[in-house]
Amino acid sequence: MKFEKKRASAKTEISTASMPDIIFMLLLFFMVATTMREQEIFVKFILPEAQSVQKIENKRLVSYIWIGDNERIQIDDNIVPIKKVQDIMYDKRVNLPSVIVSLRADKNSRMGLITDIQQSLRKADARRINYSATAKM
Amino acid sequence: MAAIKRKQREGGSFSASSMADITFLLLLFFLVTTNIDVDTGIGLVLPEYVPPEERVDVPISKERLVNILVNENGDVLLNGDVIAIPQIKDRLKERIKSKIDLPKNKKLIVSIKTDKETNYNIFIQTLDQVELAFAETREEYSLAKYGKKVKDLNDTEADEMKENVYKVVSFAEPEVVK
Repeated sequence: MKFEKKRASAKTEISTASMPDIIFMLLLFFMVATTMREQEIFVKFILPEAQSVQKIENKRLVSYIWIGDNERIQIDDNIVPIKKVQDIMYDKRVNLPSVIVSLRADKNSRMGLITDIQQSLRKADARRINYSATAKM
Repeated sequence: MAAIKRKQREGGSFSASSMADITFLLLLFFLVTTNIDVDTGIGLVLPEYVPPEERVDVPISKERLVNILVNENGDVLLNGDVIAIPQIKDRLKERIKSKIDLPKNKKLIVSIKTDKETNYNIFIQTLDQVELAFAETREEYSLAKYGKKVKDLNDTEADEMKENVYKVVSFAEPEVVK
């Protein structure tokens, strides 16, 4: 008995016509997923380096305080005096109880200023703090 | 009059095959330009603020306490000895290990106190050493007891490990300058 191999008669080609659509989808996903909103930073700072740094998992909880090399403090989009820090952070804490304050301070800041901010944060009861530092290689 | 011959137009079409390339290019552009900046740093929870008049001094035995003082020149005093910052880790690790089997109220407390003029960078280096000392002790403890790394522990093991190598880092209450 003779066996005959069945051959597929259809063309074995993948249509590439939908390729652009797929890639457009990818593109759109990336465009939507990446946040373009960048805060303008008015202060100049270089972060210190440390070895035991951790990533902050939940970016939504983070609120930043920038401390520049000329001891200026920036919260959100404003330069604020040290006396205002407590009130601002208290408002943030009320709106978002588990707020993490990330201190992005210049590495040549004085500890006096840092301690003042720490005290303000403690008084405002926003006690989860993150000393921002870059990972040392 | 010669008849003007109309050119026969063919159905207009363009090749869509390069469309994929163009979109790929766009995609790549977005991939490269967007920087997903992750914030890294040393996380802590500050102690609760207690007004000075309500403060109660709790005596802490010297056994438990490690005092780290940093002055404005960046000199470090650990329980009275002047040492260099990179030495803090090893000194602390010994102390932490000796307290693993003790109950929670006898574990080590690390207190960091800085001068007003201390450089922030030096403070971070000091804090980093303290954090490293705890992290490495935890890692060694976990390897010795469970035979795996800290990140592979399950929740109950991790909790137990954290109870045994208990981390307390405190900052000295700032003194009022008169």
